[in-house]
Amino acid sequence: MKKMLLKHAFYIMAMLFSTAMLAQVTVTGVVSDQMGPLPGVNVLEKGTQNGTVTGFDGDFTLEVAEDATLVFSYVGFKTQEIAVNGQTTINVTLQEDAAKLDEVVVIGYGTTTVKDATGSVSSVASEDFNGGVISSPEQLIQGKTAGVQISVASGEPGAGTNVRIRGSNSIRSNNNPLFVVDGIPLSDESTVPATGGIVDGGSSARNPLSFINPNDIESISILKDASATAIYGSRGANGVVIVTTKSGKAGKDGVFTFNTNLSVSSAANDFDLFDAEAYRANILDVTGSPVPNVDDTGANTDWQDVITRTTFSSENNLTYSRAYTGGNLRASFSYTDQQGILEESSQERIVGRLNLRHRFLDDRLKLRIQSSISRVNDESPFIGAQAGASGNIIGAAYSAPPTWPNDPDFFVEGNRLNPANILAYYDSNTNTNRLLLNGSLEYEINSDFSAKLNLGYDRSDAEAQSIATADFNNNPGISGNGQTSFNTLEATSKLLEATVNYKKDFDNSNLDIIVGYSFQDFRRKGINSQGWGLGINADLPGTIDALRSRIRGPYQQFGYDADASFVNRLNPFDDNDQLPFFVHSIESLWVDTFDNTDELQSFFGRANYSFNDKFLFTATVRADGSSRFGGNNKYGIFPSGAFAWKISEEDFIGENVSTLKLRLSSGVTGNQAGLGYAQYLKRQRFAGPGIGDDGNVDRPGLATVAVQNEELKWESTFDMNLGVDFGWDFDRIRGSVDFYRKETSDLLFRQAAAAPAFDPFVFRNLQDGKVINQGVELNLGYDFIATQDSNFSVDFNIAYNDNKVEGLNGTTAEFGALNGPGLTNAFVQRLGEGRSLFSYYLAEYSEDADGNPNFSPDDKKFVDKDGLPDITTGLALNYTLGNFDASAFFTGQFGFYVYNNTANAFLNRTTFATNRNATPEALTRQSQEISTLYLEKGDFVRLQNLSLGYNFTLDQNSTLKSLRLSLNGQNLFLITGYSGLDPEVSSNTGDGGTGIPSASIDYTSFPRPRTITLGLNAKF
Amino acid sequence: MKKQIKFIIFFFSLSLVLFSCTDLEIEETDSILAENFNGLTAEEANSSLTNMYNSLNNFIATQENLYALSEVTSDALLIPTRGSDWGDNGLWRQLHQHTWNPDHRFITNTWNEWNGLQLNASEIIDERTPASAEAKGEAYFLRALAMYIILDHYGQVPFRDTTVKPSVDPEVFTGADAVNFIVEDLNNAISSLPNATPNGDNQRATKTSAQLLLAKVLLNKHVYTNSEVNNADMNEVISLVDAITDAGFQLHDGYYDIFKEDTDSETIWYRPRAVGERIFHTLHYNSTELGGGGWNGFSTLAEYYDLYEGDPDSNRVDLEGNLLDGQEERRGGVPPQGIPIAEATDPLLNGDDNGDGFVDGSNVGSGFLLGQQYAPDGSPLEDRNGDPLSFTRNFFDAATGDPSLVDNNEVTGIRVIKYNPRFGGGFQNHLIFMRYADAYLMKAEAMFRAGQDPTTMINDLRTLRGASPLSSVSEQDILDERGRELFTETWRRNDLIRFGQYTRDWPFKDPSAVNNPDRKLFPIPATQVNLNPNLVQNPGY
Repeated sequence: MKKMLLKHAFYIMAMLFSTAMLAQVTVTGVVSDQMGPLPGVNVLEKGTQNGTVTGFDGDFTLEVAEDATLVFSYVGFKTQEIAVNGQTTINVTLQEDAAKLDEVVVIGYGTTTVKDATGSVSSVASEDFNGGVISSPEQLIQGKTAGVQISVASGEPGAGTNVRIRGSNSIRSNNNPLFVVDGIPLSDESTVPATGGIVDGGSSARNPLSFINPNDIESISILKDASATAIYGSRGANGVVIVTTKSGKAGKDGVFTFNTNLSVSSAANDFDLFDAEAYRANILDVTGSPVPNVDDTGANTDWQDVITRTTFSSENNLTYSRAYTGGNLRASFSYTDQQGILEESSQERIVGRLNLRHRFLDDRLKLRIQSSISRVNDESPFIGAQAGASGNIIGAAYSAPPTWPNDPDFFVEGNRLNPANILAYYDSNTNTNRLLLNGSLEYEINSDFSAKLNLGYDRSDAEAQSIATADFNNNPGISGNGQTSFNTLEATSKLLEATVNYKKDFDNSNLDIIVGYSFQDFRRKGINSQGWGLGINADLPGTIDALRSRIRGPYQQFGYDADASFVNRLNPFDDNDQLPFFVHSIESLWVDTFDNTDELQSFFGRANYSFNDKFLFTATVRADGSSRFGGNNKYGIFPSGAFAWKISEEDFIGENVSTLKLRLSSGVTGNQAGLGYAQYLKRQRFAGPGIGDDGNVDRPGLATVAVQNEELKWESTFDMNLGVDFGWDFDRIRGSVDFYRKETSDLLFRQAAAAPAFDPFVFRNLQDGKVINQGVELNLGYDFIATQDSNFSVDFNIAYNDNKVEGLNGTTAEFGALNGPGLTNAFVQRLGEGRSLFSYYLAEYSEDADGNPNFSPDDKKFVDKDGLPDITTGLALNYTLGNFDASAFFTGQFGFYVYNNTANAFLNRTTFATNRNATPEALTRQSQEISTLYLEKGDFVRLQNLSLGYNFTLDQNSTLKSLRLSLNGQNLFLITGYSGLDPEVSSNTGDGGTGIPSASIDYTSFPRPRTITLGLNAKF
Repeated sequence: MKKQIKFIIFFFSLSLVLFSCTDLEIEETDSILAENFNGLTAEEANSSLTNMYNSLNNFIATQENLYALSEVTSDALLIPTRGSDWGDNGLWRQLHQHTWNPDHRFITNTWNEWNGLQLNASEIIDERTPASAEAKGEAYFLRALAMYIILDHYGQVPFRDTTVKPSVDPEVFTGADAVNFIVEDLNNAISSLPNATPNGDNQRATKTSAQLLLAKVLLNKHVYTNSEVNNADMNEVISLVDAITDAGFQLHDGYYDIFKEDTDSETIWYRPRAVGERIFHTLHYNSTELGGGGWNGFSTLAEYYDLYEGDPDSNRVDLEGNLLDGQEERRGGVPPQGIPIAEATDPLLNGDDNGDGFVDGSNVGSGFLLGQQYAPDGSPLEDRNGDPLSFTRNFFDAATGDPSLVDNNEVTGIRVIKYNPRFGGGFQNHLIFMRYADAYLMKAEAMFRAGQDPTTMINDLRTLRGASPLSSVSEQDILDERGRELFTETWRRNDLIRFGQYTRDWPFKDPSAVNNPDRKLFPIPATQVNLNPNLVQNPGY
């Protein structure tokens, strides 16, 4: 029925269109660029909707009025107008458009140009991306844009990335922006199950965007202010990052591009640990006794060297791209093998992508399909940032006496760990398959109206398994028995969007309206499981599969130990069932399942009106409904408005000023990320099972995991932005400056619950509480040289952000967890009225006249220092001379403090005296108590990227169309006063139940690599 | 071409139909969801009880939280820092020095845990829950226990009515109101639960455990109501203990046998949770190979150790367990070596997994470990610095030799161990929470407070434990006897307060805390006072 309706609609629209024309002439011609014929160019009779698109050979045929003017336009080229004047053949060569401000920028549900944008939007195109080894798309634009702080958690392949656009709005985690890939907003939640649980600390966060092949990306847009993000309503508060993938281009025969990168990486920095001889001397000096016999085997082991390595990584891409009359396609395949500089860390990534566009019905129906399928295999050593008193493998390597032999079976008593033992007997792997499929159909109903239907399907299927075998040393639950965990996560999201667009050009103004409906659901299901007592060939996934096939009916969980077994079912309720008899190679085991779905439904609209091409107005509203809230709070409304004045178009502005635009915007956006499923209802489940150190598994009972709270609602951010874009001398000097203030209220985080409570922390909106971010951003660019064969340009960005929390009314929370020996249960950051998030709260260190520590560690207070950088900056230099090009990119962060938890835990005199290794510098730290002794300035400048490239001049008849060689260096140097390896840290060291992440706590971070990459790019 | 278009249009229209507008309601795919609480079913109530017992296991097994607040704040236990170990941001030190503040994690955790238990119990007790009388009885007992622990530690008990919304501020009981509420719950438990069985598997709440707890509440009632001891209460304590005795419970001959994973005539309530924390929290890293060695933490003050008869500087036993230094049975002692595997007679003993010819873990003594410690083969053990592993009576700074709670070496302090690793390493699933000797001593104390003479009772116990009889019994004697009998069983703080000695001076207590009555109550966790206006922060915090 619906099908018929649509069909009829098409015919009616088509009829409306067939209007008669008078005094017509047929014009034919070929459009080309410097490389040759250009297919897909829009050819339009000016002032009408009469037009066509060039075919394979850049050819076009169009019937036009005799006195018509033809407008030729194509993305990336200057638009040309040519009067027909009776000609019947018009051949045109389009010029590439160098002016940055004419660049097309992808925004929510549409595109605009930099010149016409009313909101604060930045776009980075593929040619400006960072080079080298890139494991996820955010790294491509790290440091490129003012006000966007992107920090990779560590040097681990596939490590999580924190992206902060204009500061941190929320108290809980989830300050990451919304990522939209080809029109599909991605879920904010992880696509990888937590690994581990078997050894302290588990694993580090994985990057959910690793599945995207950086080579497939055309551009990345960053929407910063509410005017730009309000169209994404409840998910726009932290900004929006729109990733657009490449589509087929150029050449009727199709172009193959082969691209290969070979990289070599090594640790950029390491600690100057004592060797055996120095260790013996210093132990004698500090403790008064020689190294005990049990520790001194006569070996001289460099443990840092044992766990790190110089590695080779490779990345290979093969792309086929082709455009034809009526459409284009692009297919790519990539294989990346990234080896981490710690032993047993790697990421393998295989990505295939197919993008198709096709036009039907005289180009009025446009079909677009973007699909990618990927497999990511992560291998991770034991590096959990929340590892307790004994530390992880990195801490173990810093503290293991060099007099121990490099032998996995060297037995260590007490709470010290043998790094060789961990390397040999611990293993953790995560495999993720992801399919992202997007199809859209756009129909031009008439010259004013078009309608679009957009469907998305995103499915990721991940499995994580960790094993610590019976030979794992010094862990009561593992040693002699072995433990393994196996967790799976299937995350599926379905999207449907329908939009109608109305565009109308009036005499001296134009109007562009879009209204739409969107529905998206997010289903997460999977299992968590754990096995203890591993027999020969113990196979946890296999055992679980076998057991699952034997259980009839639905269940939440099951398990067994030597004494008993259980199956717990919720619907219908049954907590008496047992497992059928089964022969197994694992002595005890539990499995717990989950399966839940969240939904979002939205109605939105945006109107853009421009007057005289001088005054631009934008109004946006989105009403979002979420299944995460109940009662009257299910829906939130997020409006915004913006105004821009292109002053440079005014007559009173001289010709030299190529750009001058004032932008004003204000709006409200929301945030519900991180809230999780059904937090507004009373929710009961069987408690998560566990395995005792002796392999004991108790049948879990029914527990309340959430309590009813009908008042739970969106966190919302009120945002104001004032910006000026400017350019002189055809934008040879260009830039923009933005001032903003963002006020986030109804803050959502896991606050302490009034006792008695089932869970000591519950999600609540913090009444009266506000997080305020205000700041200024500056982008500046200058083309020092701009000649035919030589260019030199410098682009600089800097942003200042001030963050503070107000209206706490006594609410407080501790975070910034420390870890390591003697630091269990310690926190160094807390919420303070009028202070920045991540403000440090700890004792001030002081020494007496003899240089001995003289302070009370219980004397804690706010020390007026915090972990958030005030200033973030980037500097890019680009130089080309003929076929040769070079670029350098520096990034820096200033005005923040890092708590050196690594030193506090391992590298100090007190810990050294407990027979653990250290550095000469560590021996000067006389106190192991938590204090400002370990709080250091984190300011740094990094040479993030240096690249050199050469484009070979090829013979016209060569099969090769282009050939490029490049050499790229990443993280070549770091200037900082920080005494640890690297002040840029963002691994989460634990939250003590509040769900508040840590910032700038440096605990045994995965060392950052220095990487040199040799790249080859060939088109044929 | 047309076909293609038709297909595409069909596909897109189909998807439009598939996803029509949604009401955004979520389904019960992996949990039970409700907008309001309307009682549990009988099956859910039983399962909730299972969950409560499971959580209780961890509340009482860990060396943190309740155990730390009850023992480390007393003269019985302290944890010096040794190098960087056990610094933990001052958590342990503050407890022993009595300098804790409202942010202390164990104070917050203990508050959260036991209050949470109360709320779970209330759901079962709720009239709308059709649970069995026995399940309700167990819930009454667990709620009374939870509220009692909160009353005892914080002086104020928040109570949540399960018939009102969670956003309503919980009411707060103090003093006599709180005591009466708890007593009523316990009477409900007593009337609906069966007796525990002497020498039985007493894992769950029983009439007997409720009687013991009621006796405890009444014995301490004058502390909570800030009044004089009431003879009627004391007489009720006596009759409650008599009822427990009538049920067949009696003192067990063989003190350390009580703490093995088998039945005895004293255990009224235990949880089948491994006792590893109780073993490893005190042992030195090199004390045993079991469990990767000890954690070298908890030790006692010499003055506590000196409550026992025997040589103050030596505490040894021979291989057969004979006491060599004139000590009584409860002080235990350090064996000269491990038990040769061939001579192992007790079926509960470990085997010889490491093949050294000795019962694994049998070189570790029970009770109070002082002086040189020995490996299974009889060789003297060394600490990690290669110095003799010889525990000292006193605590001192390793560098200066001055008495100190911080910067100790690895061997200061007498170690205290009740569950022995020779019986299953740390994995004996037998963590005792209530036992008859406590009831027995409560009766003696009630008699004393009611003006009767408990000397015979006390001496019967002392004789059984190999201590010499007392000619007469003073208040101090009763407290000391409780200290000797019930060490590290989480009642020391409670006892010291009832006997008026919690605020007295002892080594390393901060001068500001001496004779400071405010320290008898812990502060309400800082966030809680802010969250519930019915709570008032305790004086002095």
